[in-house]
Amino acid sequence: MLAFLGRSFVQKLITLFFISVISFAVIYLAPGEPSQVDPLNPKFTKEVVERFRQQFHLDKPLHQQYLLFYRDLFTGKSVSWKDGRSVLAKIYERFLNSLPLFIVGTLITWTLSFPVGIQAAISRGGGYDRSTTFLAYLLISIPGFFFAYILIIFVVNTFHVPVIGMRTFGLSGAGLATRMMDRVWHLLIPSILGATAGIAVLSRYVRGQMLEVESQDYVRTARAKGLPEEQVHYKHALRNALLPFVTMFGLVLPGLIGGSVIIESIFAWPGIGRMAYEAILARDYPVIITVNFISAILVLVGTFLSDLLYMVVDPRIKL
Amino acid sequence: MSVRKVLIALPIIVLLFLIQSYFWVPTYEEQTRGNPQRLGEYVTASIGDAHLLNPILHADSASGEISGLVFEGLIDYDENLNFRGRLATGWKIYEEAYFYVNDLATIPGLGQADAKQVKKLMRQAKREHSDRKDALSKSLANIEAIEILPPRLLQEELSETSPDGKKVKVLLQISAPPRIKLTLQRVDQDLFRNLEKILGHEYFSSFQAERYIRIEPATFEAKNSEYAETFLPAKEHNPVILFHLRPGVKFHDGHAFSAIDVKFTYDAIMDPANISPRLADYEPVKKVEVLDTLTVKIVYKRLYSPALGTWSMGILPEHLLNRAALQDEALRSGLKLETISIRNSSFNRKPIGCGPFRFHEWKSDQYILLNRFEDYWEGPPNYREYSYRIIPDMLTQEMEFYAGTVDNYGAQPHQVHRLKEDPRFQSFSGLSFGYSYVGYNIRRPPFDDVRVRRALGMAIDVDKIIRYVLYNQGERITGPFPKQTDFYNHAVKPLPYDPEGALRLLAEAGWKRNREGWLEKEGKRLEFTLISNQGNPIRKQLLPIVQNSWRKIGVDVRTDLLEWAVFIQERVNKLDFDALVLGWAMGIEPDLYQIWHSSQTGPHQLNFVGFKNKEADDLIIRIRQEYDRERQIAYCHRLHEIIDEEQPYTFLFVGRWTALLDKRIVIMERDVDGTLRYEKIKPTKTGNYTFFFNKWIKLPTVPTFEAEG
Repeated sequence: MLAFLGRSFVQKLITLFFISVISFAVIYLAPGEPSQVDPLNPKFTKEVVERFRQQFHLDKPLHQQYLLFYRDLFTGKSVSWKDGRSVLAKIYERFLNSLPLFIVGTLITWTLSFPVGIQAAISRGGGYDRSTTFLAYLLISIPGFFFAYILIIFVVNTFHVPVIGMRTFGLSGAGLATRMMDRVWHLLIPSILGATAGIAVLSRYVRGQMLEVESQDYVRTARAKGLPEEQVHYKHALRNALLPFVTMFGLVLPGLIGGSVIIESIFAWPGIGRMAYEAILARDYPVIITVNFISAILVLVGTFLSDLLYMVVDPRIKL
Repeated sequence: MSVRKVLIALPIIVLLFLIQSYFWVPTYEEQTRGNPQRLGEYVTASIGDAHLLNPILHADSASGEISGLVFEGLIDYDENLNFRGRLATGWKIYEEAYFYVNDLATIPGLGQADAKQVKKLMRQAKREHSDRKDALSKSLANIEAIEILPPRLLQEELSETSPDGKKVKVLLQISAPPRIKLTLQRVDQDLFRNLEKILGHEYFSSFQAERYIRIEPATFEAKNSEYAETFLPAKEHNPVILFHLRPGVKFHDGHAFSAIDVKFTYDAIMDPANISPRLADYEPVKKVEVLDTLTVKIVYKRLYSPALGTWSMGILPEHLLNRAALQDEALRSGLKLETISIRNSSFNRKPIGCGPFRFHEWKSDQYILLNRFEDYWEGPPNYREYSYRIIPDMLTQEMEFYAGTVDNYGAQPHQVHRLKEDPRFQSFSGLSFGYSYVGYNIRRPPFDDVRVRRALGMAIDVDKIIRYVLYNQGERITGPFPKQTDFYNHAVKPLPYDPEGALRLLAEAGWKRNREGWLEKEGKRLEFTLISNQGNPIRKQLLPIVQNSWRKIGVDVRTDLLEWAVFIQERVNKLDFDALVLGWAMGIEPDLYQIWHSSQTGPHQLNFVGFKNKEADDLIIRIRQEYDRERQIAYCHRLHEIIDEEQPYTFLFVGRWTALLDKRIVIMERDVDGTLRYEKIKPTKTGNYTFFFNKWIKLPTVPTFEAEG
């Protein structure tokens, strides 16, 4: 056990090092320069551009820039080129905004997928199963941004209420309950959108797992014992079908950052994904690389957690 | 039993809870009925967030918009794009001109002369010419005072690099000869040229400044003429702007505004630690002098007519950003003393100025909130609050506008026709300050021939492009000046769409159609690549249209759409292109130096098409140096003609913007007796509808106005 932990830690550290080098190299070698060094603005003289270069260490050789950058990152000193604010503070602020969206989205995905998937497995081949299959493939194949636009236009034109951003503007005079519920409303549509693809995929997955388990001998035995159908499905089959999902839960973690770039941009949601996307457009290297680095850590931590979880739930597995 | 019920109940409960929130959210109508405060708030949206809220540092339009409300400049443009005073009540522009007495030069009819004799001669000339009307007499009449400045001794210390690469200190001992100072009523760029008529043609050019400079160590003697140029210029124009400041103006924190703040703002721009992108605008300033708390004198090193316009920039509060204040901040935030500058001060995220709105709150990528400044010198705005929302997507901006949570929306060209007629909104439209063009790399054949450039322009049906690509939301443009200013020469007619004529011109230039229909000259086909950048849908549509137009007359064009960074760095900056589709955003000032002067044709410079014309160069410099608006306009008109004759670009069109506004927003004026008067919002002559923004207010119902008479 301890050996596994140690080995895994060292492995992940090495992976992380390579990720740091590669993500740094990719971003620095890609064409384009920070907007401060924008050469097509007549107001920016050569001297100004040169000073920006110096300030951003862009005049130094690449390996030195690499060291300088990660030194700043680990000492918490790296600042965004766009507005000079600390990168970690920015990410933390955005993380808090992304969190409710992530939680509600995950909640909808996980609570909805199970009943839908299980029912589909039970009524296999029936009308319900066919229609959910159709719906699932429709939701998977429809582009997220397109679906978002359709939904926004529909809601605004039918109900005449605002849906963009984290809250309704010009509501500062309203009561506390109204303002709270207003925030919940603004969470609803983006999290439904964020959840759609998830529901479609996960419910298919639940259905598959259920079908596999349902054909097992012990399920047949349970039936033969004369147990009611409901108990067979929900007690004997479901418990065993749940096993793989434990590991999947660990992989949800990285979704915190990368999961919602498009949704956040469309809904003007000030989350991490949108910040990273805008940083890429503005070539704000410190932000891009830090977000990259953190999401790499999240992926590694996520896989590590799912290894551990699996060990806990499934006693057959020894590491 | 229970597992199944729980599994089904859980998502239903979650969804019901989420969906019931709908009943709490106000609709368009309820927003103002249930919450009357909403009427005092103006909500607008922007695609991008601001970077830095500091007038001397920002370089993006979002920061500019907010800074414009929080800060105030000394002057700004009025409805007709003339200057009007803001923090300055008035200003005076005059000139101080200097020249060294050249005791070796021979003055016609006088011979060699000392300072006193020169002064006497000029006085005499001024008297003799007082009733004449020629150029010299005008220059003389313009002279208000003639003074002799006595000789002086100067010491300058410079750091130079010696031939073997070491840094060396060079000491200059300068014994400057007497100098004549002329005070002029108006700036006169032809002064010295006219004075040569009485002082002799070589009076200024033959001045040997090197004689007065002693260099230590003598090894740098070779650089003498360079030093002479810097420290002892034979003649010097020093235009002066004297600003009288408005008394009783306060910053948002209650501190009184004074001339010290103006000087401080200038110093902050010049401070290299701040890396201000406004540096180029203020580089020509020689010094800023505070004469008293409400008078500032700004002296320029040389003639620079865009100078006045630069003072529309917001003024910073000295007491919050001076060295002591920054050091305080460094101590509080743990920054190093030597690294703190205005650029990394937290002031840029909570600015204090003396504009009509005071800063309240900024949530990155969400919103910026401003409150009205009750002590604003012109009286507080009607709106209590100004919200600047960041909505990065145009379609959702539009939806928020319909839902009533954004008060204005910039319609896209294809929507204009439909939304203009919509009874819910009022709409405004005007020409933008920017144009699209096809630029040719004049260094490369066949573009070195003006006939080819003209023919290519004539083969493009621009009217059709405006009709179908821009949905008629654009106008033709023929030159580099904004169409709504006086600098634009309306006498220049756009190129006609005439493929036949184009072919005739090409034939003149030696290009004939071969059997397959391609144009050929000496066995070589007329072929090149037209490029543009990705990310601009209009340019993307222009590429195939232009390509097709040219193919029709037998030009073998290929097109290429490149990512912006590659486009700029690899093609434009390295001057590696044949022809390109691009656009320029224009300012109101007619300074075209960077884009059209022949000295700016190198790599990484903005005259990347390589336009070179002696007369145009001369005009560009004259426009920069001319302070008289009428003459400036005349020069601009001529320059516009030259650019039209030369056709370095095929000027395509300037876009037309359309803004929609909630119909309930009107202008509210308070009469002297306190009664309120409402008026419809009217755009200014130049199309600016937000000009009277401080007087806007939203009403609970759509107002009806009497028929306009």
